[in-house]
Amino acid sequence: MSVYKHAYSAYTGRLTPLWSRVVVVVRYAVEEALSSRITIGLFTLSMLPVFVYMVGIYLANNTLARTLVLHRNPVFEIDARYFLNVLETQCWIALGIAGWIAPRLVSFDLADNALPILLSHPVSRFGYVLGKFIALFACLSPVTWLPCLLLFAYQGYSSAQPWFVTNLRIAGGLLAGSLLWIAFLSILGLALSSWVKWRVVATGAIFAVVFVPAGIGGIITGVLRTKWGFLLNVPVMMTQLWQRFLGEPEVMRADLHLPTVAILIVLTLACAICVMMLNARIRGREVVRG
Amino acid sequence: MTAMNDAIIFENVSKFYGEVLGVNRVTLNIPPGVTTLVGPNGSGKTTLMNLMTGLVQPSSGHVSVLGLTHVDADRFFRQVGYCTQFDSFPRRLTGWQFLLDSLLLHGMSEGDALRLADEALQRVRLGNAASHRIESYSKGMRQKIRLAQAIAHHPHVLVLDEPLNGLDPMARAESLGLFQELSRLGMHLVISSHILDEVDRISDRVVLITGGYIVAEGDIHQVRREVRDKPMQVLIRCDQPELLASRMFTSNHCVEARLHADGKGVFLRTADVDEFYRLLNQIAVEGLVTIEAVAPADDDTLAIYQYLIGSDGSPS
Repeated sequence: MSVYKHAYSAYTGRLTPLWSRVVVVVRYAVEEALSSRITIGLFTLSMLPVFVYMVGIYLANNTLARTLVLHRNPVFEIDARYFLNVLETQCWIALGIAGWIAPRLVSFDLADNALPILLSHPVSRFGYVLGKFIALFACLSPVTWLPCLLLFAYQGYSSAQPWFVTNLRIAGGLLAGSLLWIAFLSILGLALSSWVKWRVVATGAIFAVVFVPAGIGGIITGVLRTKWGFLLNVPVMMTQLWQRFLGEPEVMRADLHLPTVAILIVLTLACAICVMMLNARIRGREVVRG
Repeated sequence: MTAMNDAIIFENVSKFYGEVLGVNRVTLNIPPGVTTLVGPNGSGKTTLMNLMTGLVQPSSGHVSVLGLTHVDADRFFRQVGYCTQFDSFPRRLTGWQFLLDSLLLHGMSEGDALRLADEALQRVRLGNAASHRIESYSKGMRQKIRLAQAIAHHPHVLVLDEPLNGLDPMARAESLGLFQELSRLGMHLVISSHILDEVDRISDRVVLITGGYIVAEGDIHQVRREVRDKPMQVLIRCDQPELLASRMFTSNHCVEARLHADGKGVFLRTADVDEFYRLLNQIAVEGLVTIEAVAPADDDTLAIYQYLIGSDGSPS
């Protein structure tokens, strides 16, 4: 038998608050997301449309340029439609970036069996998922609401003072539309990545979940002549939602408009399913082989 | 800490993964010291370890570690260090970053985390490799960094799943020395290992498990004595082994004799160890043979494993 001296001293120093443990997960996840050159490339590409839209705002607000280059072309009127285009462009780019980043955050940990080690710390499964969610949300922010609001601010700065005040709803719409979309993308990306260990397949799954049901919804709408098929069509739902957020008249026929409540219920249901998927997959137990 | 909660306690614990049995009706009380979990692959060792590290919750029953449960996560995980069996590192981290992040996740301040990471690295003797990415580590170095992560936050309970796998003999000896040292300082070490002869040297008790059921537990010699249906084997070094064997066979509890390869000893199997030693004493006193040494030859973990579980993994 051993002789127990009981001389082993436990750590008695001060502990950081629980929320700061989540920050460690966030930091690690952001580092992981940005460690790939492809990620940096995607971020750079995502700035190109912003640059183009910024030039558009410059041209639209510069009297000489308006006369010489645009010949007062109405395409370059800076209004809700213009910012809807900005929002749509950036939000679909965000889908591409989420499809690339989300699997890096979760699939790698699952493939490497890293969860038992991570979860044998005082960070819960909820804390782990929250950390990854915040990281993905933070990565998508510079692509969506941040450039949208910066362009809005630039337009406000470049145009006559009343434009900024009278179009504040656009800023609110840009913010709300972007936040809703990237929150949805983040939870969807994490949930799908937790079920697919292979990163490339997980990326494909994220795109498939957005676009395959859209096709099915289109068939339902066409065959049954009902607008409710669009409830499976994420692009249509989001476009209608963004139009309403920005106060832009909807281009679809009025009988195909979905109620905002129905859209929000579908998105909430989808998020609930994602949470259940994460709950089932993010487990600390070690997989025993052999 | 009271004596009562200075133990890892399983009270009638069962764990099912859907319809698959992990462990069934396990009742254990593990005091400080080195406890070895022994069993074939898929016997439930890792499930037991996951239960005591709070990574899985029992389907029924209750697990407490030093009086704490996973509900009190902050205090629970401060007391428990887990060294997993498989490579399970977040990617692209150096050994140093891995340790530092682990300590920050435990809630240490950055200053303390730096100090404790340094201390743990020195303890496992990883040296300069800590500044390299874990992907570039050899199997032995990965074991070391896993061990460093498990001990860095000064836990009282160290759960080590196959910690000797992949280590060369020198590193294995170093690790065993470290385990022994930690055990003497009053830590709980729960080790699962297939390298039974080496773990045997430092084990205070053994838990044999197969098919999710505990087959035996306790001090290894005590367990061996309780395996009454398997005659015990004793090695006796003496000058006249043949004569000793013939004399021992005059009593009917002696069931087998085998000469040692060097001809200077004999392995004897007896069904009644008390009677055996009484007779051996008598022979020694008579001076019939000169006995140099007497040692049990099969009261080690390996022998008990073979007797109780067998090579096919089913209880015999």
